[in-house]
Amino acid sequence: MSKMGISTLQSYRGAQIFEAIGLDQNFVDTYFTNTPSRIGGIGLNEIAQEALARHRRGFPTRSSRLPDLDWGGQYQWRQDGEYHMYNPDSVHKLQYSTRTNNYKIFKEYSELINSAGTRLCTLRGLMDFRFAEKPVPLDEVEPAESIMKRFATGAMSFGSISKEAHETLAIAMNRIGGRSNTGEGGEDPARYIPDQNGDSRCSAIKQVASARFGVTSEYLVSANELQIKMAQGAKPGEGGQLPGHKVDEVIARVRHSTPGVGLISPPPHHDIYSIEDLAQLIYDLKNSNPRARISVKLVAEVGVGTIAAGVAKAHADVVLISGDSGGTGASPITSIKHAGIPWELGLAETHQVLVQNNLRSRIIVQTDGQLKTGRDVVIAALLGAEEYGFATSALIVSGCIMMRVCHLNTCPVGVATQDPVLRQKFTGKPEYVVNYFRMIAEETRELMAKLGFRTIDEMIGRRERLDMQKAIEHWKAKHLDLTPILEMPTVPAHIPTRRVHAQDHGLDKALDNLLVELAKDALEYRTPVELQLPIRNANRTVGTILGSEVTRRYGAEGLPEDTIKIRFTGSAGQTFGGFLPKGITLTLEGDANDYFGKGLSGGRLIVFPPSAATFKAEENIIIGNVALYGATSGEAYIRGVVGERFAVRNSGAIAVVEGVGDHGCEYMTGGRVVVLGRTGRNFAAGMSGGIAYVFDEDGDFAQRCNLQMVDLETVENQQEEEEFVCYLIRRHAELTRSPRAQQVLDGWQDYLPKLLKVMPLDYRRVLTEKKAQAGRTFVMVQHG
Amino acid sequence: MGNPIGFLEIGRVNFERRAVQERIYDWKEVYKNFPEEQLQAQASRCMDCGIPFCHQGCPLGNIIPDWNDLVYRGQWQDALYRLLATNNFPEFTGRICPAPCEGSCVLGINADPVTIKNIEVTIIDRAFKEGLIRPRRPMVRTGKAVAVVGSGPAGLAAAAQLNQAGHWVTVFERADRVGGLLRYGIPEFKMEKQIVDRRLNIMKEEGVMFRTNANVGVNVAVVELQREFNAILLAGGATAARDLPVPGRELKGIHFAMDYLPLQNKRCEGDAITDAEFITAKDKHVVIIGGGDTGADCLGTAHRQGAKSIVQFELLPRPPAERAPDNPWPNWPNIFRTSSAHEEGGEREYCVLTKSFTGRDGQVSQLHAVRVEFEGRTMKEIPGSEFSLDADLVLLAMGFLGPERKGMLEQLGVGINERGNVTTNPQKMTTVRGIFAAGDMARGQSLVVWAIREGRQAAKFIDEYLMGSTDLP
Repeated sequence: MSKMGISTLQSYRGAQIFEAIGLDQNFVDTYFTNTPSRIGGIGLNEIAQEALARHRRGFPTRSSRLPDLDWGGQYQWRQDGEYHMYNPDSVHKLQYSTRTNNYKIFKEYSELINSAGTRLCTLRGLMDFRFAEKPVPLDEVEPAESIMKRFATGAMSFGSISKEAHETLAIAMNRIGGRSNTGEGGEDPARYIPDQNGDSRCSAIKQVASARFGVTSEYLVSANELQIKMAQGAKPGEGGQLPGHKVDEVIARVRHSTPGVGLISPPPHHDIYSIEDLAQLIYDLKNSNPRARISVKLVAEVGVGTIAAGVAKAHADVVLISGDSGGTGASPITSIKHAGIPWELGLAETHQVLVQNNLRSRIIVQTDGQLKTGRDVVIAALLGAEEYGFATSALIVSGCIMMRVCHLNTCPVGVATQDPVLRQKFTGKPEYVVNYFRMIAEETRELMAKLGFRTIDEMIGRRERLDMQKAIEHWKAKHLDLTPILEMPTVPAHIPTRRVHAQDHGLDKALDNLLVELAKDALEYRTPVELQLPIRNANRTVGTILGSEVTRRYGAEGLPEDTIKIRFTGSAGQTFGGFLPKGITLTLEGDANDYFGKGLSGGRLIVFPPSAATFKAEENIIIGNVALYGATSGEAYIRGVVGERFAVRNSGAIAVVEGVGDHGCEYMTGGRVVVLGRTGRNFAAGMSGGIAYVFDEDGDFAQRCNLQMVDLETVENQQEEEEFVCYLIRRHAELTRSPRAQQVLDGWQDYLPKLLKVMPLDYRRVLTEKKAQAGRTFVMVQHG
Repeated sequence: MGNPIGFLEIGRVNFERRAVQERIYDWKEVYKNFPEEQLQAQASRCMDCGIPFCHQGCPLGNIIPDWNDLVYRGQWQDALYRLLATNNFPEFTGRICPAPCEGSCVLGINADPVTIKNIEVTIIDRAFKEGLIRPRRPMVRTGKAVAVVGSGPAGLAAAAQLNQAGHWVTVFERADRVGGLLRYGIPEFKMEKQIVDRRLNIMKEEGVMFRTNANVGVNVAVVELQREFNAILLAGGATAARDLPVPGRELKGIHFAMDYLPLQNKRCEGDAITDAEFITAKDKHVVIIGGGDTGADCLGTAHRQGAKSIVQFELLPRPPAERAPDNPWPNWPNIFRTSSAHEEGGEREYCVLTKSFTGRDGQVSQLHAVRVEFEGRTMKEIPGSEFSLDADLVLLAMGFLGPERKGMLEQLGVGINERGNVTTNPQKMTTVRGIFAAGDMARGQSLVVWAIREGRQAAKFIDEYLMGSTDLP
């Protein structure tokens, strides 16, 4: 329960959010009307048989055993329980073959996975190949080296797995030209520097998840692909969670969070409420690193084809269809089974819909979900995927033995733990992972030869080469009908069935191209530059490409403050100043739309109404919703009221505003926010770090603040803090000429008692500990 | 799993053995008592793995993580039921099994494995002490009769299971006592025979019938079995010992281990055996040829009989101290082990090939051997490395080749496969309909735990054969 954002029992009833896999259509029509059941399956007869079998077990005619319950083996493997494809035999053979680079033993492993009995476990197992009449000689098939470039490892965050495991995967994938994925945990910038021997630990795919952990300009610029995580295949409709005891100093630093505090990323991104919002984020990310491809990770479910079509129209370069299998051992039990559907269904549907709408040619389709062998790769290709993700198997090769204690931080082989003692026991090496992928590629080649294909490209979507296994004997499987997956979309022959050209992101029309040109000297020589330009709401994501140019040259350090100063007049479009790094100051005389300062990365943003305006700024909205979403550092001075979800997921930026809408500082983990006016409801929901200062003139702030994770304090007798807040307000007054700020400063002694400090409990604990350790007093310098 | 960090906090602690100088003067069990709370602490080291490799490593498929956890929580009776769900005779395996489960234990990847065997034996011993092990008579009798030939662990397991399914079982044993190798192959100090008798009494009360001194094919006609029983299970073991036909073999004082060991066991049971009939190591220079468990059994027996000196020869090289790279986890670690018998004394020499014996007055007095080396699997004698040593008693413990072909097997006409064992199909039936085979007789020489598994499986298939369906596990 409590998946897909549904919080009440009532909402499940009649919601039709279930899909059936393996139930007969007549049966579903009678008892589960309107539930999709795409491949047919069992009906009342088979269900009755199972019920009778259970009864016989419970009431034997001859009592030949001690009374005991069937131990099931659903989650912990048992010999005569539920069959698991990863069992002691297959795990051992996989590990042994990749450690000793023994292809013969690897074939024994794949034989176990691909064998007749095992194949009943997956939809792809129920398919057979239609081999070519004349096979192609093996040496004419595309070499393993080029096939391996299509491989990726799944998104497993540093935090869920250890540094050693995470880096092993990155090094291995970089060696073979494939891609490893950061997961949603951010990445230690130390990894962007190549090793002595030329190895790179930098993850090629950088994931941007709802919590925006560690998503700085540097993070984005260092990526080869930026992946927007819409959901996780293995637990769709849920978010991620890293328990507090796994968040140590290092993890907290990389995620810009607080050690010991559990980290939750809820499923929805705070800036995505529609497909247009997703298109905006794709555009934002493309601006933040024009050289990276932008991918969107979707979950296999009925209707994913439509969503994928939207994603393709939104200019994503890659769409990942993630299946239901696999996922972390830390998942709640209700998520391990019966959540999500197999990638075969999602991929088939996606490919079909994209081809039928002539969208297939502009986007790469990737799939993952417990892919294990070359056979799986070939079937994925024939169903329409150009790239293939592996997660669990890559970890097993690195030592994972599926203990399923990932959430307890006690992984005995050092894979899914942060415990320094256990991490010593990690025995994985990049060579093993490289061996694994090479052997998968070889297996793939062997099958390609038999199918008569020389390249993967010619295989994409050729599902006429797949057939449902003719002789399915199993009494429960024989009613399945895979035709819906294997149907070829009917389109004219000239419609491409794989990606053949790039998306047009429209970057050539961006205002930033002009900005980069005008700021040339600053970029090359660090010469300070000041510009003045008009701006209109069609100018979206202004400052981001410019920012990426700064980060590309100067890294996290950026340029000295105020090196590039640009003053805009007018109405700014979405994502004004997104991911802006240090060294750039953007001043806006006018107003702005949503996503102002998204991912602010050290830059400075200033906004105030036009000098000719006659309304009171502190009573009127000047920028839109979700401002400073996921900001990691930098400053924002906003003379006016801001919309909803201000500074959501802020992990280090400083902001002064004159009023906020609902849900201000939601999920904040660092930084400082000063509110000179009223707040909306539900302020500080989920706030676990950073500090907010609110002037509670009406005395009712406590009612509008979500006190679950925070305390309200005053700053009386805290001299440094007082001075800090005063300093910020003074800056605000200077930079925006705010009368409201001046008013507060003039009457400081009267306003001070009304100043409430919103202090997260976890943050206070950590600061107290730090203070005790360092023996130093709280200093202004701590920006969070 | 009760304590997720048990494995980090607590190290492996084995049962303690009695002092050598004390134990070699008696035939009682070698191990001291182990405090219960300490055992529960040992059980807390189990991590309840998502994939329990121990459970796969155990030929019986013991549900080890479950009963480890139950022991940790002090739920001894539940642990017992979990254990008995897969193992008929935990009191045997808990004493003499080499514990392939521990070889596969996940903890064993980079630390010491859980003391699974010790936990198993404590569960069952405690249950016996508390009177929890009582005869269970089957609810319903089928009216069918099954003959089980051989009363070793395979035959006994099958008999117990078939009896539970309601069949009338008669076990035929050619020796004078029931138990097979449990009784006469394993020395008293490794497993006291009262443990075996205790179990047999329960089986008798449950309705299993035993006939001793009943040698099928010799003094019991096979036709009697074929006539009187609805199914026959052959579980006579692999008793054809490997010989060493070298010059001097015919000298007196050279014996097969299975001629030597049973005599001491009989004396321990109180049988009157004359010194002329008995084979003793007392005051002799003993050489044991064969470095396996049987050899170790001879070693411990010879110690207790007061041998003057004992040397144990093994043909193959000494195993490494740690796993070799081609012997990875979770396979059984082929490493150098020191059993309790080795602790008690004697020397072990590896890579030794015995070439001949010489003697005085028809009695062996010297053994002549040469050292060998291996290139892969090819053995080469090292020139100039011949040596001799005094040997008054030579015990041949070089393993078993398979079941005895002459007699019963020939008379029944069951097929023998190329490995020399009785041919069986996946349902354990031989080439003759209605005749099944299990244990060493079908597998070749193996472990007690495998025999129990074979017996249980045979019982399941026999039950299905007789009744059309089965509820046996």
